[in-house]
Amino acid sequence: MDILFLLIPLSVVLVLAILAGLWWAIHNDQFDDLEKEGERILHDD
Amino acid sequence: MQEMTLDKMTAGQGVPPATAAGMAALDDPLEWPTFGRQDRSDAALWDSHLLIEGMHCAACANIVERALRSVPGVLQAEVNGVTGRASVKWSADMTRPSEWVAAVHRAGYGALPVTNAEALAERRKTQRLALWRWLVAGFCMMQVMMYAAPVYVAEPGEMTPDILHLMRWASWVLTLPVLLFSCGPFFGNAWRDVRRRQVSMDLPVALGILIMFVVSSAATFWPHGWWAGEVYFDSITMFVFFLLTGRLLETRLRNRTAGALDDLMQRLPASVERQLPDGSFERVSVRRLRPADIVRVLPGEAFPADGELVEGETLADEALLTGESRPVRKEGHAELIAGSYNLASAVLMRVSRTGQDTRYAQIVAMMEQAATDKPRLAQLADRIAQPFLLFVLLAALAAVAYWWQTDPARGLMAAVAVLVVTCPCALSLATPAAMLAAAGALARCGVLTRRLQSLEALAGIDTVVFDKTGTLTNDRMQVGSIRVRAGWDADRALRLAASIARHSLHPASRALVAACPQGSETVGKVEEIPGQGLLAETAHGQVRLGSARFCGAEQAIHAQSQVHLADARGWLATFDLDEDIRVDAAESIVRLRAAGLQVEILSGDRPAAVERVAERLQIGRVTADSRPQDKLAHVRALQAAGRHVLMVGDGLNDGPVLAGAQVSVALGQAAPLAQTRADFVILGSRLSAVVSLLLHARRTMRIVRQNLAWAAFYNAVCIPLAVTGWINAWIAGLGMALSSLLVILNAARLANIRD
Repeated sequence: MDILFLLIPLSVVLVLAILAGLWWAIHNDQFDDLEKEGERILHDD
Repeated sequence: MQEMTLDKMTAGQGVPPATAAGMAALDDPLEWPTFGRQDRSDAALWDSHLLIEGMHCAACANIVERALRSVPGVLQAEVNGVTGRASVKWSADMTRPSEWVAAVHRAGYGALPVTNAEALAERRKTQRLALWRWLVAGFCMMQVMMYAAPVYVAEPGEMTPDILHLMRWASWVLTLPVLLFSCGPFFGNAWRDVRRRQVSMDLPVALGILIMFVVSSAATFWPHGWWAGEVYFDSITMFVFFLLTGRLLETRLRNRTAGALDDLMQRLPASVERQLPDGSFERVSVRRLRPADIVRVLPGEAFPADGELVEGETLADEALLTGESRPVRKEGHAELIAGSYNLASAVLMRVSRTGQDTRYAQIVAMMEQAATDKPRLAQLADRIAQPFLLFVLLAALAAVAYWWQTDPARGLMAAVAVLVVTCPCALSLATPAAMLAAAGALARCGVLTRRLQSLEALAGIDTVVFDKTGTLTNDRMQVGSIRVRAGWDADRALRLAASIARHSLHPASRALVAACPQGSETVGKVEEIPGQGLLAETAHGQVRLGSARFCGAEQAIHAQSQVHLADARGWLATFDLDEDIRVDAAESIVRLRAAGLQVEILSGDRPAAVERVAERLQIGRVTADSRPQDKLAHVRALQAAGRHVLMVGDGLNDGPVLAGAQVSVALGQAAPLAQTRADFVILGSRLSAVVSLLLHARRTMRIVRQNLAWAAFYNAVCIPLAVTGWINAWIAGLGMALSSLLVILNAARLANIRD
C-alpha cells in the first residue's frame, strides 16, 4: 500500500492542475454562452 | 426564422422603425463614445456594443454574427445569445456604425447601441468570479469525498494511522482553497454583519464553516491534542458547494430577466434637423437642442422636445402621452409634445422645453413618486428571518453549554450540527428558488419580471383593470362595415379607396390599405388636402376620399370614425372604422373571469369609443375620459375598498397608475419608460400572456408555501435532535443538502408554464 503515499499527493496536484485548466477556460469566454456553440454544427459554414 | 421576423415586425408597432435619419446620428463621432470604447493602441479602431432585438435562440446569435462579419471594416463580432448583446470591433477608416447596424436590420433583427457597456463589463466580471468560486468548491468537494469515503467504509484497523493521516492532510490542502476563496462572500458578509451588529443568513453559515474547519485542522495536525475527534472536510466542502450552487442559479436567472429589461430602455440616439441662421438645415443630436431652436420634424419621426408649430400642418400621434387613440390635428401654433409622433407631413417647430423640463420627463417623475408607495414585501421576509437566525445562534450556544461539563467535544459538534442543520438554505431558498424558476419560465415565453416580489402580490389579485388603447386594442384602426351607393358593391368601393389611400400615411388610410392590400385600380395624381382628405384622378374620374364634409356625405350621428368616398356624382361609399381589438382579448377576459377575477376598463379615451370596446368584450365596469391622475385616483379608490388591483396598461400616461396598483403589467409595444416601471412586461402583443402570468403566479405561491412549510417542519424536527447531540456534523450536512435539494426540485416544477 506504499504506493498510496505517492498517489494521494499526486491526486492533490492533479486536482490543482485541473482547477488551473478551468481557470483558463472561464477567463477565455468558454462559459459565456453555452448554447451557441452547440448549435453551430447546424449551420453550413 | 421567418416566424420570428414576422413576430418582430408586429412587435415594433407604435415605435417608429429605425429611420435613415436616426441611423445617420450613429455616424456622428460624438456619439461613438456613448456606446463603445476607442482602442488604446489604434485610434481608428472602436469596440462598440449593440443590443440585438428579436433574438430567441442561439441560432439567431450565429446569424447576427455572420451578418456583422460580412461588413467590410468590421474586424470582429461576438454575439451572446443569452444576454442579447453584441460586441463589434470596427475600423473608423473603413466603415461607419450605420453600415453594420443596417446589416443587422437586413438579417431581420433590431439593433440598438448599448450605452451602459461599462456596467455590463462589471456584471460579466462578477458572474465569472461566482462561476469560478463554484467550480473550485465543486471540484475540491469531489476530491475530498474521495479521501473521506474509505474512512466511512473501512473496518476498524483496516487503515493504518499514517495513511489516515495522509488522507486528512490531502483533504486539508484541498479544503483550503474552498475556505479561502469560495467562502469569500460568506465570510465577507458575516464580517460586515458583525460590524454593523446585525444578523443575516451568512453569519451561522460562516460560523459553522469556521468551527468545523478549526476542529478538523486540530484533529489533522495534532492527532493527540485537545481535539482528537473526527475531521469534517467533506462536510465543509459539500456544504459550501450546495450553498454556492443555489446562489449561482439565483444570480443566473436574475441576470437573465433583469438583463432583458435593461435592454428595453435602450433606444437609438435621436437626431433632429435644426435650422441654421441662413435657413439651411443641419442634423444634430437631440442633446444639443436649446429652447428657441427651430427644428424640422419629418413624418414618422418623434417630436424631440416640447414646443409649438411654426410652419406647416400635420397630424400627431399622442396616444402614448394622452391616451387619445385618434391622431390629433396640429395647425397654426398648436402645442407639440415631446415623445409624440408626427404622422402626416414635414413641419417646423420652435422648441420651448427640452430634456428634464418636458411633459414626458414630468410624467416619468410622477411615476417615480408613485413607485415609492410600494409595499415592501422583501422587508417582511427579513423581519422573520432575523429572529430565527438569532434563535439558531442561541440554540447552538445552548448545545455547547449543555454538553460543556460532560463532553466539550460533543458539545462543540452539537453546536456545529445546529448551525449546519438549520442552514438557512431551505428557508432562504424556499421563496427565491420558486420565484426565480417562475420568472425564468415566464421570461422564456415572453413575460419579463421586474420585481420578484410582485409574484406574491399577483397571486392575491382579485381585480384586473385594463387600459384600452394599445392594451385591449391595437393602436391601429380596422375597417368595419361598408355602405355603398346603389349599383356599387362594397368590394369594388374598398378596392378603389385602398388604391387611393396608398398615397397617404393617415391612420384611416392605413386601415383601408390593410383591409385591401392588393388595391389594383390605376390612380393618377393624388393630392392630399390636409384635414379633409385625398383628391385623386382615377379611371373612374375625379374621386374624393376623406371626411363627410369633404365628400358631401351626411355627418354620422355617433362618434364612430368614418371615411367617405365620393365621385363626380356625389357620395359613393362610407367605411366605418373600428378599433382593432386584439385577437385573444375576448378569450383572455373570459378566462380571467373563470379564475374568479373582476375585470374593468379604465381609459383616457372618449366614452363612446370605450363603451364600444367594452360592449364587444362584454366588460361591464367601464371608466372613460380619465387623465393620468384620475386613473391613479380610481385605482386608489378600488384599493381603499379592499380590492387588490392588477393594472394592465401600455402607454406612458399609464405610468403613475401602473406604479400605484398592487401589481402592474405592461404590454411590450409600450413606451420604454412605462415598461421599466411595470412589475411585468409582456413582449409581443398576446393578452393571453396576462392570464398565463396570473395562473403561474398563483401556482408559484402555492409552491413557495409548500417549501416554507417543509423548511419549518424540517427545522422544528432537526434543531432539537441536533441540540441533544443525536445528529453529528456529516448527517447534519447531508440533511441540509437534501432539504435544500428538495426545495430546489420542488421549485423546478415551476420551470414549465401550464396553461
